[in-house]
Amino acid sequence: AEVDTSEWACEACPFDDGYRAKVSAGATNVSDDAARFGNYTGYDEEGAYGNLDGYGRYNKDGYRLDYSMENLGLESRAFGLSIDSAGLFGLNFGYREIPFRRFDTTRTIFAQPTGDSHTLPSGWVAAGTTGAMTALASSLQPRLIGSDRQIIDFGGFYDPRNDFRFYADFRRQTKDGVDITSGSSYAQASHLPRFIDYETNTVDAGVQYRAETFSVTLALYGSFFSNKNLGLSWETPFTATPETSVLRMAQQPDNHFQQVSLSGKYLVNHWDTVVAFLAAVGQGEQDDALLPYTSNPDLGAALPSSSLNGKVDTLNYALTVTSRPLEKLRARFSYRYDERDNGTPVTAWSRVIVDLLDSGQPEPNAPYSYDRGHATTSVEYALRDDLRVSAGYEYRQMNRDLQEVAEQTTNEGWGQLRWQPVAWFDLRAKGGASTRGVDRYDTTVAVSLGQNPLMRKYNLAYRYREYGEVVASIMPLESPVSFSASVLFADDDYKESLLGLNGSEEFRATADVSWAVSDSAFVYLAYGRDSLDAHQAGSEQFGFWDWSAFHEDRFDHLGAGVSYRPTEGPLSLRVDYSRGNGDTKIEYDSLSGGRNSLPELESTLDSLRVEASYDFSERLAATFSLRYEKFELQDWALVSPAALPNVLTLGAQPYDYDVVAAGIGIRYRFGENEITLAE
Amino acid sequence: RAADGDMPDYSRKGADTCFQCHDDQAMLAVFRTKHARPDDPRSPFGHGQLQCEACHGPGDDHAGRVRRGQERPAIPAFASNSTTPVEDQNAYCVECHQADTGMAWHGSTHDVNTLSCSDCHTMHIERDPVLTTATQAEVCFGCHQQQRTQSMKPYAHPVRQGKMACTSCHNPHGDTTERLLARSNVNATCYDCHAEMRGPFLWEHAPVVEDCNGCHNPHGSNQPGMLSMRAPMLCQSCHSQAGHPSIPQDERGLPANVPSALLLGQSCMNCHDQVHGSNHPSGSKLMR
Repeated sequence: AEVDTSEWACEACPFDDGYRAKVSAGATNVSDDAARFGNYTGYDEEGAYGNLDGYGRYNKDGYRLDYSMENLGLESRAFGLSIDSAGLFGLNFGYREIPFRRFDTTRTIFAQPTGDSHTLPSGWVAAGTTGAMTALASSLQPRLIGSDRQIIDFGGFYDPRNDFRFYADFRRQTKDGVDITSGSSYAQASHLPRFIDYETNTVDAGVQYRAETFSVTLALYGSFFSNKNLGLSWETPFTATPETSVLRMAQQPDNHFQQVSLSGKYLVNHWDTVVAFLAAVGQGEQDDALLPYTSNPDLGAALPSSSLNGKVDTLNYALTVTSRPLEKLRARFSYRYDERDNGTPVTAWSRVIVDLLDSGQPEPNAPYSYDRGHATTSVEYALRDDLRVSAGYEYRQMNRDLQEVAEQTTNEGWGQLRWQPVAWFDLRAKGGASTRGVDRYDTTVAVSLGQNPLMRKYNLAYRYREYGEVVASIMPLESPVSFSASVLFADDDYKESLLGLNGSEEFRATADVSWAVSDSAFVYLAYGRDSLDAHQAGSEQFGFWDWSAFHEDRFDHLGAGVSYRPTEGPLSLRVDYSRGNGDTKIEYDSLSGGRNSLPELESTLDSLRVEASYDFSERLAATFSLRYEKFELQDWALVSPAALPNVLTLGAQPYDYDVVAAGIGIRYRFGENEITLAE
Repeated sequence: RAADGDMPDYSRKGADTCFQCHDDQAMLAVFRTKHARPDDPRSPFGHGQLQCEACHGPGDDHAGRVRRGQERPAIPAFASNSTTPVEDQNAYCVECHQADTGMAWHGSTHDVNTLSCSDCHTMHIERDPVLTTATQAEVCFGCHQQQRTQSMKPYAHPVRQGKMACTSCHNPHGDTTERLLARSNVNATCYDCHAEMRGPFLWEHAPVVEDCNGCHNPHGSNQPGMLSMRAPMLCQSCHSQAGHPSIPQDERGLPANVPSALLLGQSCMNCHDQVHGSNHPSGSKLMR
C-alpha cells in the first residue's frame, strides 16, 4: 500500500539528546600474588586497585559523541572515543592495553633489566653441569616473565550518501616486556629472559563503490613491523673456551608487507544469483641487518650479504557464486587461490657450529614457496518444507617446492540433512570423508635432510579422514526452557605413514540448557568436552619402527549461572561459575624402554564471578563484584634451574593459586536515563 | 521500506500509533540506537521514513481493533525462533544495509545456513553485545559451543577475559576467505598481531610459512603455546633424523630417573628455540 508519512509527527518519540553517561568508580582488593590470575586482567599482584569504568554519549545538532572506559585503573585498560555526524562521517579513537603475565616464579642468574645482552653475575663459577655451578643458588634472582601490548587505533569514514564510501584506519601496536628464550651451545643451553620491544603499524584504507546490484571495494593494507633488538647475546654459564664464552642469537627481524585488493559482489537478477570475487596482490620484504656468523673472533668468513634482501610476493583470488535455480534448490560454487612466492635470493652460507667449528659445507637457504587452490561446490534441496538435504564436493591442490612432496591433492565429499519441523526445532546432521593424496613422497629430499626415509610428515602425508557432526536446538516459542547440543567426531588415518603420525581421533560434545524463569531471571547450564587422541611411531635405530606413542588429550568444561535483572526494583545480580579440567596422558611402547607412561599433565580451573548492584536512586547505585579463581597445574616439564644437568632453566613452577578479588564501588548516571515518551 | 501493492496498510500515525501499547523501557531503548536518529535521513526514524514499520512492516491491521477472542494479526518479529521466515526477517535489514553489510551477506556461509540478523544482533538495546569486544564471544558461542569449550582451555587467546573478540580473526558477515577469516589466509590473519613471525626469515621452517594451525590450535589448547600436542611428540611427528630426534622421550627422562633435556623444560626448543624461523647466518638448525 502507498503510504504518506507527512502526518507521522512522531510526537511521542523520545529521541536521544544532550549528555548522558553511566560511570562506575570503585576499589578492588586482590588476596594474593598470581601471575596467571593477572594474565589479561591486570590483577597480578596482591593489594588494592582503584578502577574506573563507564560510557557516555553527547548528542548535539546531529552530531553524536560516544566514549567508553574500561578498567582505567588496571593494566588491562581500554578507552574509546567516536564521533559521527548522522552517518555522514565518523571518526574513532581507541586505546587499549593487554597484559600478558606468564610466570612470577621464574628466577635467573641474568639480572639485566632490559637490553640486548646478558652478562654473568660477578663471582660466577662456570661448570660443565648445572649441578656443579657452585654460585647458582646465590645468584638466582626473581624475574617476571610477561609483556604488555598497547594498541592505539585511529580511523574514520566518509559516506557522502551517494555511491561511494571512504574509510581509513591506522593501528599502532607496541609490545614490550620479557619472554623466555633458550640460548644453546653444542650440548648445553640456558633459558634466558628475552627482551621484547616490538612496534607494528598497520594501515587499512579503501573506497567502496555501491550500486543497486553490485559493490566494489578497492582496499590497501600495510603492516610495518620493527624490533628494536637485532639480537641477544649472553655469556654462557657453562664451561667454555674464551672464544665461545659469549654467544649470540638473532631476534625477529624488521619486516613489512603491503597488499592491494579489489573485491566485490554482484547480485544477478536471475535465480537469486550472487557473485562475489576477490583479487589481491601483496609484497613483503625483510631487509634487516644480519649478525655475523659468529662472535668468535677466530672464526667466521665475511657474510655474502649484509642483509637477506628477503622478498615474498603473494597472490590471492577467489570467486564465489550462489544461486537458486529452483525454489527448492540452492547451489554454491567457490574457488580460492592462495600463492606465496618467496623470491628471496638463494645464497651459500658458511655456518659456524656453536661458535666453535666452521661447518665446512656451504649451506644454501631454502626460501619456501607454495600455491594452493580450493574448489567447492554444493547443492541444497528442500525435499519438504521441513526437510532439506545438501551435498558437497571439495577439491584442494597444493604445490610446494624444496620439500618432500611437490603436489598434494585432496578430494572430499559430504552430505547433510537438516530437519526443521517447526520454527523452534532444528536438527542438522552432517557427515563426510576426504582423501589427501600426494604425487610422490620424495625420500631423496627427506634423506638429504637427514630424515629416516620411512618418515611421513603429517602435513605432507597421505591421509584419509572421516567426520560427522550432529547439532540440535530446541527453542520453544512459548516455553521458557531451551536446549541445544552438538556432537562432532573426526577420524584421521595416515595409512601410508610407517613413521610419524599414524592417526588421530577428535571428539567434541556440547550441551546447553537455559531457563528464563521470569522476565527478569535467567538460569543456564552448559557442558562441553573436547578430546584429541593421536598415535605415532618412531625409530630410534633409524630403521623400521621400534617405538610408538599415544597422546590422549581431554578437556571438560562446565558452566552454570544465574542472572537477575528486574525492570523494576533496586537489586540486580549475575553469578557465573565455570570449571575447566584438562588432562593429557602420554604412553610409550618401545624396544628399549618397554611400555610406560609419563605422569598425567593436568589442569583444573574453578572460577566464580559475582556482579551485583543496588540502586539507591535513579542515579546512584552501589556495586559489588567478586572474582574467585582457583587453578592447579600438574606439568612435569616445568623443572627447577638445576634439574637438568645441561640446561639451566628459569625454574618456572606449575601454577597453583587461589585468589579472591573483591570490589565495591558506586555507579552514577549523568543526564536523562529513563526513556519516557514525550508528552 | 518501499511500499508494495500486496502489502497491508501502514498505520495512520506511525510510531505514535505503536506507542499506545508498546511503551516499555525495553522497547523504547531503540531510541538509544542508530536506528532512531532523526537527523540521519537513512535511519528508520529519519525524516519521511517509516519509523517502527520500517522494520516491522505495515501495522494497520496489527494496530486495529480486534473482536473479543480474535487473535491480533501479527507483524514480523525478529528472533531466532520467530514464526516470521528468516529470509523475510533478513530482507527488512538488508534493504537498508544492502550497501554495507548486505552485499557481503548475500551468499555468505551464515546466510546459506539461514541465520537471521537478529540471531546475533539485538536491535532494541543501547549497546549491542555482539558489537562490544568484551561480550561478543558470548553471542557467538550461543551457536559455536565447541569453540566456547576450547576457549576455556588453560592456554587460549584472551577471549574468555574479554580482551579479544571473534571478529579479531573472523568476518561473520561473509567473505571469500576460508572460514570467514579477516585476512587472506590463516597466517596473514595471525600476522595482524604477531607480525614478528612474518619474515621472510633467512632460515624458514617449512610448515610455519604455510599454516600456523599446523602446530597451534588458535581456539585453545591443553598445551603451552596453544600447541596441538605436547613436545617432543609434536616435533617427532615430522622429525626422524638419526640420533636424538628419533629417541622416544618417555619416563626414563623424568627428573626421578635420568632427566632429559629432550623432554623437560622446553623440550626440543631447549636448543631449537627459533622454530618460527631464524635470521642468524649460522641459524640453519633454528638454534640461534
